[in-house]
Amino acid sequence: MAKSGILKKWGDKYGVAIKVQRFDYAPSLDAFVAKNIDACAMTNMEALDMPAASGVDTTAVIIGDYSNGNDAVLVRHNIGLAQIPGKRVLLVEKTVSQYLFERAMALNNLAGELKRVKFVNTSDSDIAGAFLSDTSQEVVVTWKPLVSQILRGKGITSVFDSSKIPGEILDLLVVRTEVLNRPDGSGQRFAKAVAGAWYDMMAQMSKPGPQQDKVLTGIAEASQDSLTSYKEQLSTTHMFYTAQAAYDMGKSDQLKKTMELVRQFCFAHGLLGEKTKSPDDVAIRFPDGSIQGKSDRVRLRFDATYMQAAAGGKL
Amino acid sequence: MSLLRIHAQPNRATVWMLSWLLFAAGVSSYFWVSRDRHRDNPDDRVMPTIQQMVQGFADATLKPAEDDEVAAAAGQQSLFARIQSSMLWKDTKATGRRFLLSMALLFPAVMLGLHMGMFPHIGAFFLRFVLFFDKIVALSLLPILFIAFGIDELAKVMLIVIGVAPTIILDAFNLTRGVPREQIVKGFTLGAGDFSVTYRIVLKQIWPRVLNSMRLNLKAVMLFLFAGEMIASTDGLAYRIALLRRHMGMDTIIPYVLWVALLLFLVDFGMRTLNRKLHPWFQEA
Repeated sequence: MAKSGILKKWGDKYGVAIKVQRFDYAPSLDAFVAKNIDACAMTNMEALDMPAASGVDTTAVIIGDYSNGNDAVLVRHNIGLAQIPGKRVLLVEKTVSQYLFERAMALNNLAGELKRVKFVNTSDSDIAGAFLSDTSQEVVVTWKPLVSQILRGKGITSVFDSSKIPGEILDLLVVRTEVLNRPDGSGQRFAKAVAGAWYDMMAQMSKPGPQQDKVLTGIAEASQDSLTSYKEQLSTTHMFYTAQAAYDMGKSDQLKKTMELVRQFCFAHGLLGEKTKSPDDVAIRFPDGSIQGKSDRVRLRFDATYMQAAAGGKL
Repeated sequence: MSLLRIHAQPNRATVWMLSWLLFAAGVSSYFWVSRDRHRDNPDDRVMPTIQQMVQGFADATLKPAEDDEVAAAAGQQSLFARIQSSMLWKDTKATGRRFLLSMALLFPAVMLGLHMGMFPHIGAFFLRFVLFFDKIVALSLLPILFIAFGIDELAKVMLIVIGVAPTIILDAFNLTRGVPREQIVKGFTLGAGDFSVTYRIVLKQIWPRVLNSMRLNLKAVMLFLFAGEMIASTDGLAYRIALLRRHMGMDTIIPYVLWVALLLFLVDFGMRTLNRKLHPWFQEA
């Protein structure tokens, strides 16, 4: 996005200089919580349990997409979900992988069996190698492109993936609320510029033609991936290509239901902090003004104004 | 002014003060910044205050890990039983077991080095290979380790052994070669056989130095152990740190790191004392 000049175009329009910095995922969250960066892309779950739970008031300005099969539970020997209790499961604990797994069990009325599952916390850089080379391991939960890599192994099948819980694992673009509310208005101009650039990019990505391939190749290269692999990931990602679609998601009741599930999950696993007594202490505010939790402890806000402006062509 | 001269002779009080100065500076600047951050954001988790860390440590030592199904009636248990079922104790036990196991596996390495140094054919057989192996970065071979040893306990211990053993072997080898030839010849003229010379003359002499070299490698052992636990595990001190990082649980991480430092210091101290007790004749050159 920076290379193509789109970001510069929009930055100039609103008189802000935007610098893009490539991070690995976990360090980017750390930097955002430490207030070293102003905006960051992350999942809805991490937005709640990292910055929001650390008292960094955070606003989601863009809902980018949701995982529609990107995250999956993979098994050997064709075992089913019901046979997993008592076995060992490789995953990165306390991330969307664990959320996905627990949802899978809950949707299949196996929630009571969760206690008998032994999680092995495995670093995402080694999880594919570990699962593929150690054939005594039977279950792994991870995300793409690792999922595709593991599925190429012999006798490995997918028993559950995020397409069965559509809209629950969201990718957001979040901005620190204090940045957004800077008195000189530069924060809002920043958010508008980013939203403008974002949907320009989406338009290019979604319109079939040579330009599309060029854009997708650029993205794939930037994330050290191949075009085929990236396209394959896109096929299991529900992108909100238009601002209108994202805006509809932001206004929907489904978002509230999702966040309710997510915050209960985070609270149950201590992700909101050991001292947080109730999930209500890290409250979430939705575009219509409704709040989950205590109104004086709002830490995560969904703000649809920028998506709405983009949808109405008002940027 | 003799303050910065080689011949300067600081008195006891000055030495004591100087040696603690950096600690005081570090600790106070930490709390100064931490207090600042907390004034700005009372929920800050990046730099916990001392109360938060004490609380975090107390929770770690008195409460079981959340995923354990220990009897929920923790309140009625005795203090000792509570510590025994606590998260910290469980992690320390797991890490400690791996640590001791891998330290024990380093003793055969010493013996190998000794024999390589004493018996030319054994030396010829192993030396080049060990020299080569010593330069291999064990962490980069992880996928192969997973195939050979699975991803459980064995893999973690083997990672340490592969990482540290070559250094120990080579060290023992060099120390063996460093024993004066005259002593070995003398041993033979007094009627000792190959093995009495090896074990009763050479091994006895290199032992204190070998212990020292193991002591210096403690940190390497710990680094490999931590790497192993962070890659894939279900318990252990590094496992807990990796998990807590996921939600910025610095209030527990910092005490954990200090706890590990303390344990390492104690092991180091123990080995030094043992060395002095076992080999009172040994003086570091």
